Order: sequence, then structure tokens, then C-alpha cells
Amino acid sequence: MKDGADEETGMDLQQASAILQETRDRARRALVVRRPVLLAVWGAAWMVSDGVIWLSVRGQRPYNGPTPAALLTLTMVIAAAAVFAVIYVGRAGSGVGGLSVLQRRILLLSYLGGYVALFTLEAAIDHAGASRAVLGVYGAAAPILLVALIIAASAAVFLDWSLLGLGLWLLAVAAGSGFAGPVTVWAVSALAGGGALLVMAVTGLRWNRS
Amino acid sequence: MSIDGLDPVIHGPARLRIMVTLATLPEGDDLSFSRLQDLLSLTPGNLITHLRKLEDAGYVTTVKTGAGVTARTSVSLTRDGRAALARYTAVLRKLLDAAASPLPGSP
Repeated sequence: MKDGADEETGMDLQQASAILQETRDRARRALVVRRPVLLAVWGAAWMVSDGVIWLSVRGQRPYNGPTPAALLTLTMVIAAAAVFAVIYVGRAGSGVGGLSVLQRRILLLSYLGGYVALFTLEAAIDHAGASRAVLGVYGAAAPILLVALIIAASAAVFLDWSLLGLGLWLLAVAAGSGFAGPVTVWAVSALAGGGALLVMAVTGLRWNRS
Repeated sequence: MSIDGLDPVIHGPARLRIMVTLATLPEGDDLSFSRLQDLLSLTPGNLITHLRKLEDAGYVTTVKTGAGVTARTSVSLTRDGRAALARYTAVLRKLLDAAASPLPGSP
């Protein structure tokens, strides 16, 4: 076709249908951020990092806290998941502007602000003389509470009941996991927290395929 | 509407692809001209021509912001455009179904 020329309109019905389907598929692959993919990555990162922490504190009597190697592993796993998420969302969002970009920025700021507040509060609790056991319970359960609240609130933004369900489940995990004690709380977080994200990811992928 | 009942503004390969690509984005989002061009593999002149037709029909809006190196042209589907594409898709499906079903009285 010549540059700037009008196109032919002699497109038959089958061609139109094929173009419509093919373009829709291609555009979705290129532009849509698939939530199950992000849930799977963060769920796996959560499960692995908290699982590694649990392995490092398992059997401690009294509780002394995670080993430096376990904390380093946690940092690296979370960093890897963050890098993947930034690249994945960045690719899909390249050239896209408007409301969804604003929503993503607000969510990101909420998470960042929330984590800064969590760590500051942890330092304050430590400064006030909290025991290692209390800090252990806080370190595992408080991030679940933060993630749960943001996910539950984002359900209102995206009008998504499944997100609300996930948020409420994580709230229950955050509230109940502390009773497991400073060691087992990490295993509960890995399985009931990271596991919930993975279940949600698999359910979402199946839903998308059907 | 054309003879087939299909909206002639949309019923062309390039314009149909533009409409479908923009409709993938949620309402309130827009796409930069350069990304749209990349996705559709159209030349700038060709894309401008088709966007102008769609804009004249009230199906898309283009907004230019910034200047110089920060200049950005964004394209988005209007509410009328989204409705027109939904109508086009429904009519197309109906016509395909009618073409696929056997004529009354045929063996």
C-alpha cells in the first residue's frame, strides 16, 4: 500500500473476522499485563524467601532470628521478582498512558510507603526493647498485613471480587499466623501467603484459557 | 452502513486493526502514536490517514502534548468508537452465522 493512501475496502467477511481475532490476540499479548503472571512470580518469591527464612530458624531454642545467608537469599529473591515485574509491566505499558498507569503508580507508592513504615515501626519496637521472638513474629506477619490491605483496597479500584477474597484470606493469615510463634510463623507465611498467590495465579490462568 | 450492514469507516484492514488494538486498552487509557505504529507495522503517513478518518467519524481522539524531544501524540478510542466496534463485531458475527447456516429448503 502506498504511504498515505486509502486502503481497499474489498475485505470479505472471513478476512474481517480473521483480522479482528488476530489483531485482538496480538494486542492482548503486547499490551495487557496478565495478573496471573505477576501473582505467580510474587507468590513463588514469597514462598521461597519465607521458606528459606523458616529453614534457617527451624530448631532454634531460643529464637535468635534468621541467619545472614537466609536474609541475603530473601533480598536476592525479592529483588529478582521486582526486576522481572518492572520489565514485564514496563514492556506491556510502553507507550500506554492514562488511568491504568496512574493506578499502577499509586499502588506502587502505597507498597513502598507501607514497607518504609513497616521497617520503621520494627526499628521502634526493637528500640522499645521487644524480644527477638516478638520481632520474629512481627517480621513475618506485618508484611502480610500490608499486602492484604493493599490487595483488598485494590479490589475496589478494579471491581474484582476475587482480589477481595485474596485480601481477606491474607488478612486472616496475618492475624492468625503470629500464634504459630516466631519460628513456625515463617512456614505459615510461605505456605498460606505465597501459596495463596500461586493458587490465585493458577486459577486465573485456567479462567483466561476457558 | 455498507451493503453488508458493516460500518464502512471500520470495515478496512488497517482501520479495523487500529480500532481493535485501541479497544484492548481499558477506557481512560491511550496509546502513543509510535507504539501503535510499531504494533500495526504501518508507515507514519498511512497511520495518520486512517486515524484522520476515524477521528472524523468521532471514533478516536488524538492528543499532542509537549514539544521538541518530549513531544508525544497519544491516540485513544472514544466511547462512540468503542460502541461502533461492538456493533461492527456483532453485525459481522451475525453475517458469518447467516453465511454458515444452510438456506431454507436446501438438502
